[in-house]
Order: sequence, then structure tokens, then C-alpha cells
Amino acid sequence: MGGVSRIVAVLAWRNLWRNYRRTLIMLLAIGIGVWAMIFMSALMRGMTDQMVHNGLAVLPGEVQIHHPRYRSDPSVVNSMPSPTGELLAALEKPPVSAWAARVRVPAVIASERDSRGVTLLGVDPAAERALGSLPDEILQGRFLTDAADRGVVLGASLARKLDTELGKRVVIMSQDPDNNVADRGSRVVGIYRARLASNEEQFVYAGREVLQQMLTIGTAVSEVAVSANDYRQVDSWAPAIEDAAGDNLEVLTWMELDTFLSSMLSMQDGFTLILMVVIFVALSFGLVNTLAMAVFERVREIGLMQALGMRPSLILYQLLLESLYLLVLGLILGNGLAWLTIKPLESGIDISGVAQGMEMMGMGTTLYPALAYQDMLMSTAVVIVLGLLASLLPAWRAARLDPVRALNKT
Amino acid sequence: MSAIICKDLCKTFRQGEEVITGLDNVSLSIDAGEFVCLSGPSGSGKTTLLNAMGGLDTPDSGEITVGSQRLDQLGKGELADIRLNSIGFVFQAYNLIPVLSARENVEFIMQVQGVPAAQRGQLAEQVLADVGLQGMETRLPAELSGGQQQRVAVARAIASKPRLVLADEPTANLDTHSAAQLMDLFVALNEDKGVTFVISTHDTRVMGYARRLVRLQDGRLISDEAQQPHGMAQA
Amino acid sequence: MNVTWVLAWRNLWRHGRRTWLTVGAMVFCNLLLVFMISLQLGSYQMMINNSLAMVSGHLQVQHRDFMADQRMRDSVPAVAALADSVREALGTEAVAARGQAFALASSEDRSFGVLITGVQPLYEPSVSSFPGLVSRGRYLQADDRDAIVIGAVLARNLQVDLGGELTFLGSGRDGSFAAGVATVVGIVDTGIADIDRVVAQVPLVWFQDVFTMADAGHAVVVRLDELDAVPAAVSTVSSLLAADGDLRVLDWDALQPGLRQAIQSDMASGWLMYGVLILLVAFSVLNTQLMSVLERTREFGVMLALGMSPGRLARLVGIETLLMASLGLALGLFLGALLIWYLSVAGFTYPGMEEMAARFNMDERMYPEVSLLALAWGPVTVFVFTLLAAVYPSLRLFRLQPVAAMRAV
Repeated sequence: MGGVSRIVAVLAWRNLWRNYRRTLIMLLAIGIGVWAMIFMSALMRGMTDQMVHNGLAVLPGEVQIHHPRYRSDPSVVNSMPSPTGELLAALEKPPVSAWAARVRVPAVIASERDSRGVTLLGVDPAAERALGSLPDEILQGRFLTDAADRGVVLGASLARKLDTELGKRVVIMSQDPDNNVADRGSRVVGIYRARLASNEEQFVYAGREVLQQMLTIGTAVSEVAVSANDYRQVDSWAPAIEDAAGDNLEVLTWMELDTFLSSMLSMQDGFTLILMVVIFVALSFGLVNTLAMAVFERVREIGLMQALGMRPSLILYQLLLESLYLLVLGLILGNGLAWLTIKPLESGIDISGVAQGMEMMGMGTTLYPALAYQDMLMSTAVVIVLGLLASLLPAWRAARLDPVRALNKT
Repeated sequence: MSAIICKDLCKTFRQGEEVITGLDNVSLSIDAGEFVCLSGPSGSGKTTLLNAMGGLDTPDSGEITVGSQRLDQLGKGELADIRLNSIGFVFQAYNLIPVLSARENVEFIMQVQGVPAAQRGQLAEQVLADVGLQGMETRLPAELSGGQQQRVAVARAIASKPRLVLADEPTANLDTHSAAQLMDLFVALNEDKGVTFVISTHDTRVMGYARRLVRLQDGRLISDEAQQPHGMAQA
Repeated sequence: MNVTWVLAWRNLWRHGRRTWLTVGAMVFCNLLLVFMISLQLGSYQMMINNSLAMVSGHLQVQHRDFMADQRMRDSVPAVAALADSVREALGTEAVAARGQAFALASSEDRSFGVLITGVQPLYEPSVSSFPGLVSRGRYLQADDRDAIVIGAVLARNLQVDLGGELTFLGSGRDGSFAAGVATVVGIVDTGIADIDRVVAQVPLVWFQDVFTMADAGHAVVVRLDELDAVPAAVSTVSSLLAADGDLRVLDWDALQPGLRQAIQSDMASGWLMYGVLILLVAFSVLNTQLMSVLERTREFGVMLALGMSPGRLARLVGIETLLMASLGLALGLFLGALLIWYLSVAGFTYPGMEEMAARFNMDERMYPEVSLLALAWGPVTVFVFTLLAAVYPSLRLFRLQPVAAMRAV
């Protein structure tokens, strides 16, 4: 059998090149199909990655701990005590890599010219830095030095709308737990830029202790953000935090906090598979046709082989092998094309022309296509499995030819 | 008046390393209304000569005139027009279009020639009747015998009323009876309508019908003699 | 009867299965394109209409700096009078004046920063879909003064209900301290949380009073029946304004640049997919036609020998492709129309659609756009590319040598 299958392999290879034009066209079609599968998945993956990345930076953290009513009523009333005891211990040990307790309240900020509604964040700069949730870039001035820093840091876009600038005073107003307006004047010590202009307008940073004092909440905070640096693994460690937090606190993962992000992420693989199958089906008509033509023009030859005693299974095997060669060559071509086109683009595609549109999806001005090996593997699996299935029909017909009639065909 | 004048025709082919002589200084003149057989063994150059006369193949050197036109000086398109309108071709394999019926095969070429649609049907029936195929007009080639198919091919060749018919081994695939019928048809067309026939063959049955027999060997003309046609009787 | 067409038609059915497979590829691609394009256009339509109806209208007159920075002082003087003259010039009721200001809104228990919009109760219902979405209570009326309509999420956050009072603290146009108290008369529920979190509408006159705006506002909003009417309306309204003044007319594209860009970027990725599909079908047709030309080399050789020009043979192959492509086009259009018709009745949704919809101001079920453009664009493009795919096989006919071709097996 070894010798026979070697000959069959050679035969299938040579047959493939008898009509090299046809083979090349088909190869090009498969190559383009595979390229499209991988290229488009890479774009989608790049988008999703970035949306999740940006989304997590805004949340921030992969797990957040709140007062149980805070999410439906984000008021200072629903604050939680700063982590202590068991919870603190859980936050200080791996896999948790960083955590930050923050005050987060709705507020109005007024300059001498104008006012805006914002989300006021009272932060501890060192903890936020470890969490990676600091503004992307400080344009002017500095960020807060510590939790007791008395200044505020505004986004560039907000500063422009408020008609204020570095060094000027602004008034921040919010409510204390008794619903009295709490306000204080602060100096703008820094102006930052964020990837998304909407974040620049929404978030105002102040020292945590300063806000706690202004709101008269002692050491209470609004939320604790926790990160372990891998958003895909969150389910493995979130339960431990939940246990440590006890019944009086709500512990949610980012998937529960931002359903848009998690549904995008869970749809991604499904979308990718659907995309690949759709492209493959468009391709399969040509594939079946090509193979059927190859069988049709070789009917006499196949009859002769059968007359010489080649078993139908071997003919089936030979034709499937021919199809497999074609598919594998097409895959190599497509994967190569995809690699060549995606690699240079991984440093980012400038999409600032449609930036405001992309912002609706939570994306910045640059799209980073992500060439994932699992997409390459998935496209290979789809093409080989479905390709061989599609080839089965013409190959099966060839194997069942009646040798006498096949030989007599002109 | 001469129908065809060939002067010093030379043609070589390359086959792998070897250079094969197709035609070697062939000069020949055929008058209108002649019935000529080109004979000789395989590879003697008779098909090459016939193709040259039909403008299918251009010689390397020499002159070839059909009617009043120098074929060796014409372009592809003009040659195609001449083949379409002034020369009828009959091939060894009948070469009909398999998906068209006998009448449609004839009509198709007429359409290309620009025969008005109104006349085509009637003309096609007329020509098919001329070759003895009344009642078989609607059959597809696969439903006709070899002889009948070849007669459709003849009908197709004479549909344009050409003054010259070139036939390349027309009887090669036919039994004796069909071959005799075909040759009788050729002779009738030659005698009744004055159509010039040049037939390449190595079938001695066919040579018996010729009034002039030209023999070729290795691309050279080795004999050219008039003869009394005697049909198949003495074959 | 024209024999060439008969010949072309019969040639197609020499290999019926092959022809059907090729036509099948076209029909599959056509259906997919019809489906994707009409859903795509349908969802754009929905995004545009929902966003324009709820937020910005089709065009606005604003102070030239207002769009970029939304500052109080970049106002439109005598805004109600301007709205009246725009209403007259355009001959439509759907013109309303608005003013907006940020303020800290406080109920008994809660305080939030909100964007208060001053509207004309008489005209706002004709430019915006909010008034129609009041789920409890009523919308503002012409004689209301200190009444306010707020979004459902905002109401929940402020822990306030119908009849409740909200205190506003903010700054007026001149930078002075502004304060006012209004009673909640209605609650709007659009189903879109991002919008329900921010809506707060009060009568324009009261707004002007509280925020020391005098007779000024920030925008005159116009809603038109269709997008196509926008450019003409823009020029009409522009002619009402002093050429060297501070006021500008902005169309919806300028008001919501994100919308068009979101559509553009979505279209770009859509086109990539469509292009690939169409290319694959074209390759399939190219291969089929190339094979059908190659396997008929001998037949074509004979035709050439008979004096037929290569151009005529190319025409034959072209007609064959045309017939095949027409078959694909007809079936594609027919089945595509059925599909669109079904979807326009049943709607379409997929897992995750809800989250997407909320983000893009869309409903939770998509309905395709039923239009000839959406239906025909895909199939017609496939048709054109199919015909283009016949070019290479046809060109090969011009290289055919009759003598050699007749010897071919």
C-alpha cells in the first residue's frame, strides 16, 4: 500500500498541474478567500481588543467592588468603607496585581465663564498608576502628586469648554450624604489628553482625601477597582474576591459591568466563524466546479485505471488528495498574503478621518489589526474540512464510474 | 481563368529539435471548374498545401493567389472573410456544432455571412436538399450517421455558393458506400454548378473521381497529370 | 430567429451541472449582498433618523463657536423671532428654538449635573421625538413656566417622581449665579439609557429667565421630511442670516460628525467583504468560462477555418456569459426580493444586537431598507463583474490558430 499511495500522491500532484491555468485561477481564488478570512478577522479582533482595552481603562480594572446600591444610584450616599481585614488581604495577594479605592461622584464644575456636569474622581495617584488608569498624556502642568493633593486635573476638551486654563481656579460642586451642596474651589494643576474625547469631558481628577473631606465621608470610597492584568482570566480569581468582600458589598467583573464590551467579545468568535464559512461557501461553488471539470475531462482515464484494476476507493483517495493539494497551496498563499499585509499594519492604521464615528464604538484614532494564530488556525480548519467535504461529491461520482462506459466515452 | 496559382511555396515546421519540411518549392496552377486530387502518403505536405490555399496557414515564402487575391499578403481578418464568403471547407472529422441541428448548423454560417434572416431557413433547406438530406433538417449531429454528418458539413461548405471547395480527407471516416455517395455529390456540384474542387486524400477510391491527380512526397510535387475519371469502379 | 443566441443558450446546457453551480455561486452571493446591504442601509437609516429625531434635527442655526465648545455665551440673540422667520421661510412648522445650560440639579435626596434644555413647548413636538416618548405625566405645555420633563434614568438617579421639585444651580450667561426651582410634569423613556440619563427639558421662557439669557437661546432646530431636502433648506436659511454675522447654519452632518463617520467606517468594512465575495464569484465564472472555451478549442478551430472571425466567437462566449449572468441576476433579484420582503415584515435580530443597538441609537430589531437600490446594487454589481470575468477567456480566442486548434483534442 505504501508504494501505491506514493504513486497516487505523485499522480494527484501531476494531475493538478495538467491544466495549470485552471489550477492557478482556483489557487488565486482560494488564496484571496483565505486572505479575506484572516485579514477581516484581524481587523475585527483589533477593534474588539481596542474596545475592551479602552473600556477597561475607563472602568477601570477587571473587577469592581461597590456598595450594592451604588450602580443604580451612583450617589455619595451609597459609599463603601475602605477595604480592610479579609478583603484587604485578598487584594494584596496574587493574582491581583493592582487595586485602587476611589471616590466617584457626579458633580458640576464651574469656571468663571461656564459650568459642566462631570464625573469627579477622587484618586490615589500611586494606586491608579499601578492600575494603569491614569490619563494617557499630561499636556500641561502635572498630575496629582498624592491623595492629599488639593488641585484638580481636567481634560483638554473640558478646559476649553469651560474657558479655563492651567493655574486658574474652578469650583466643584457635589452633594454630601445629607444632600447639602458641598463645594470647594480648586486650582487647575494639570490638563490631560485621553484617547477618547468623551472621556476628556467626563472625568475630572482630584485627590481622594481632599474629596473625602469635602463630602464629609471620612475614609469611605465609591468603588474599588481590581486588576490582574489579563481580562480573559477574570473568572478564575473574581470569586475569591467576592468571598472576601462579604455579603454587604457587590463584586462585579467587567463583563457584568459593561455588557456591550462582553457581548462584543463573546460575539467576536461567532462572527469570525460565520464570516469564514460565508466566504468559504462563496468559494466552494468554484471548487466543486473545478474538481467536477477535472473528473469530467478525465473520465476515459479513470475508466482505464479501473479497467487496470485500481479500486474505486483509491480513485476517491486520489481525487481528494488532488483537492487537498489545491486547498493547502491556497491556504499557504492566503496565510502568506495575510501575514504580509497585516504585519506592516500592526503598528496601526490611521483612522483619524473617521475618529468621531469610531468613538461611538469606543475606539481611538488608530486601528491596530491583530493577527491571531487562532484565526489562522480556524481559517485553515474551515477550508480543509469544508473543502474536503465539498470535494467528496465529484470524487464520489468519479469513483463510481462504470469502467466500460467510461472507456467508450469520446 | 486560374482559380488558384501557387508559386514557389515553402513551409517548414519545427517539431522538437527537428525541422520538418512541409512544402518545398511547390508551384501549381488550378483553373476554375477543375476537380483536383492532392495525393501522397502521410506527411507529404498535402494538408499543408490545402491549408495554404484556404488561407488557414501562411507559407514561409512564395506566392499564392486565389481568385484575384494574393493570400500571402492578406491579414487574418481578410483571410477569414475570404474563407467565409468564397471558399468552402470540408474536414475529415465532420466538425459540426453538436448542440445545433442540421439546419441550424447551416443557418449559423449563413447568419455569419450576413444572409438576411428571412431567406436563411429556405436557403438552408434548399442546400440540405441539394446534398440529399430532406426530412433530416431538425436532427442533431449525434442522431445522424457519419455519411449524413459529412453531407451536412458539405451543405454548410456550399451554403455561401463558393466557387472553390477545399476538402481534407473527406472520406477518411466513411464506409465505401457513404464515401461513393459523397464523391458523387462532389462531382455533381462540380459538373452542374462549376464549383472548383481540391481534395486531399490518400484514399485510392477518391482518386478515381479526379480529372487531375497531383502527387506530393516530402513536401515536393512529384507528379501532376490529367486523367480520365473512372469513379470507384477500378479502385 | 437568431442562431447565435440559440447556440449560446444550448452551449450553456452542455454541462448543466457546471452552469447551475456557477449560477448558484452568483445567486448565493447576490442573496448575501441583498441581505447585507439592505440591513446595512436600513440600520443607517435608523441610526440617522433616531439620532436626528432625538438629538439634533436636520439642521440648526447656531453661534459659530457654539458647536465646538458649547459655551453659554456663544448664543443666538432673539432666538424665538429667528425661529419664526425660519419657519416662514421654509414653510414648515417643524422649527423650534432651544437654549441649553449645565446645572447641578438637586432633588430632596440627590444631586446631579445635568444639561438643561429650554424648548418651545408649542414647536418642540414637531422637531423632536421626545415629546411623543413621555411615558408618564405629560409633555410641556405652552403656558408652563417652571415645569420640567426629565428622562427615566435621570428621574431614578435623582429619586424624584411626577410632582417632585428640582432645584437648579448653575451660572447664567453673564457668569452670575443662576438658580431656579421646577416641578417634574413628565418622564420620558426612550429605551436608550444614555439619552434617558441626560434629558431635562424646561420651557424656553423660564430657561431664559433663570439663566439670564434675555431673549437669546443657543439654537434654532429644523426637522425636515427627508435627508435630500437638507441642502436646499440650508441655503434658504443661510440667506436669512447676515453674511458677516456670528450665526451659522449647520446641517446634520456637521452637527453629528460621528454619525456619518460611523456609517463610513462601517461601510468601508462592508465594502471589503462585498468586494471579496464578488471577486470570488468572478473567479468562479472566470474558471467556468475559461474551461468551456478550452474544451471547445477544436470546435472553435473549425469555426475559424470556416471563416468566422475571432471577434464573433468572442461574442458567442460573451453571450453565453451574459445569459448565465442574467439567470443569476434574475434569480438573485427574485429571491432577494422575497428575502427583503420577509425581513421587512419579521425584522432581524442577533445575539448581542441589543447592546449594539443601545450604543448606536437603534431599535432592538433591525428592519431592512426596502428600496430598489438596496435590492439591485449587489446583484447588478455581480452581473457586471461576471461579464468582466468573460474577458480573459474571450481574449484567448484571438490567439487561437485554426490549424493548431483543429488538431487539439
